[in-house]
Amino acid sequence: MPSRKRQREPEARADEESAGARVRSLWSGTITFGLVSIPVDLLTAVRPRQTAMKLVDTEGHALGRQYHCSKEGKKLDYDDLVRGYETDDGKMVVITDQEFESVAPEMSADIELRSFVPLEQVPALYFQKPYFLAPAGKSAKAYVLLAATMERTGRVAIGSFVMRGHEYLVAIVPDNGVLRLDTLRYADEIRTPASIGLPKHSKPAAAKVTQFARQIEALTHEQIDIAELQDQEARQLQSLVESKQKAHDDVIHPKGAEAAEETEAGGGAKVIDLMEVLRKSLSRSAVVRTAEASEPIDLAERRAQRDARSSATKKKSAPAKAKRKTPRKRAKRS
Amino acid sequence: MAARAIWKGELKLGKHNVGVKFFSAIEDRSVRFHLLHEKDQAPVEQHIVRKDTGKDVPREDMRKAFAVGANTAVILQPEELEELVPPESRDIELLRFVPADAIGDQWYERAYYLGPDGHTEDYFAFGAALSRKEVIGIARWVMRKKRYLGAISVVDGYLVMTTMRRAEQVLSFSGVEPAKSATPQANELKLAEQLVKSIEADFDPQQWQNEYRERLLELIEAKARGEKIKPVPVKKKRPEGSLADSLKASIAAAKEKKVA
Repeated sequence: MPSRKRQREPEARADEESAGARVRSLWSGTITFGLVSIPVDLLTAVRPRQTAMKLVDTEGHALGRQYHCSKEGKKLDYDDLVRGYETDDGKMVVITDQEFESVAPEMSADIELRSFVPLEQVPALYFQKPYFLAPAGKSAKAYVLLAATMERTGRVAIGSFVMRGHEYLVAIVPDNGVLRLDTLRYADEIRTPASIGLPKHSKPAAAKVTQFARQIEALTHEQIDIAELQDQEARQLQSLVESKQKAHDDVIHPKGAEAAEETEAGGGAKVIDLMEVLRKSLSRSAVVRTAEASEPIDLAERRAQRDARSSATKKKSAPAKAKRKTPRKRAKRS
Repeated sequence: MAARAIWKGELKLGKHNVGVKFFSAIEDRSVRFHLLHEKDQAPVEQHIVRKDTGKDVPREDMRKAFAVGANTAVILQPEELEELVPPESRDIELLRFVPADAIGDQWYERAYYLGPDGHTEDYFAFGAALSRKEVIGIARWVMRKKRYLGAISVVDGYLVMTTMRRAEQVLSFSGVEPAKSATPQANELKLAEQLVKSIEADFDPQQWQNEYRERLLELIEAKARGEKIKPVPVKKKRPEGSLADSLKASIAAAKEKKVA
């Protein structure tokens, strides 16, 4: 299997992103479980909200960010930049790329499982971001074994791994036969009621508790209602966009506009179809759906749509594809 | 030192309103850097420019566009976007209560401690009632011009609101039935269970530190003093073997560790 670690692909097209279970493959490595090794691919488990917008000018020309030197006023390239840390006494300490590398965790392709803990012991406060692990080896046997064992014992695995120069604390959680990897926050990032200064417990009157309990009971259900959890903002935005498009109002054809807001990391990773991957590597009957979709995502239909789209675009004198984005240097590290 | 509340709202439950203050439960400990020009170490400024001409674009000429295809987008005018902003409100609507395991961890985004705003007794009574019923509440509110969904739960007697992702963002599975060749044998399941038990522990987050952050801060301090520090990489190794053999060897190794 070719390494995907450093591979960069052009930005995913907006319409592909919205189509079903397309996720990004971010990392390939091995779960080490005692002396057992399980090769896996790390995939994004959360689709971006469909509210992202691009920055353009009043005529629809694509806009982008450009760094300038505040002293000389001239334009700067990515290679002209360094990072500086401002100390409490106002001194600027420049950290070079080599120095960043010298303190970065050692490159490793292992997700090392250190212990198994009861799932209910990991507070929701700790969960940061979910990913999926897809089996990547010739056989999915060890993968299936780990998932089944965790499911049977009600335990999740706690471990750590290194991705893009950062070491992550993670929980590996079985999810209907698939392994999920959730990054966890470190303990010193979690505040406590005492550190916030919340008032000390006081015992409420029993009658009051019973009153609240009754009201809670009246609103209690076994399940969540997906309709309550839909993205209202995205829906409103989309219906506005659709009506404007129908009226040919403000419709533009920008080339490579940059995101108006900082979007989540993961840009540049390979976009793949999660269901296709799982069917190939794990189970032919695997079905993936977003929580709001009542019907499973239909692969064949989606492919037909995609083909129809691409043949339509080909007819239109092949528009210039969005250029590969230059990685923006982030001011935030660690 | 007490933290500052980021927002105040009212939990609406029947005729009751419980006033609460929001405090971030997460403390951002990222090490933040300024971007500088390497040559003169002057801070950089970010300009928004036209991509084709490289010319600066004034703020009043910037627009947001929603992509509807590979090469098509619709500009949304500022007044149109303004109309989409939800009306301001202090209400936190409680939609329903469900058992805690009705929501998977992949829904959770960011946690806030809620503190009492006004009636402390109502606050603790609501928390006590939530614990007694062993449920969490699904809530909806508007904070700083944005709509939020969240799950309200009790941690150590205090209310915690964890914002939730939207249904369209969360992927779920069904029908995962591995091929016969990938289905583990009974003996393998037994061995794997033994291995899990041999490295079973309580969740102890204090055990893990962000070593990268610590090394980075050490480096910065050393450089600020004009020193240099040597990097100390940690080596890791990974042995290989057949599944059953590896399981057995792992259990043996784990047992040894426990005895030692």
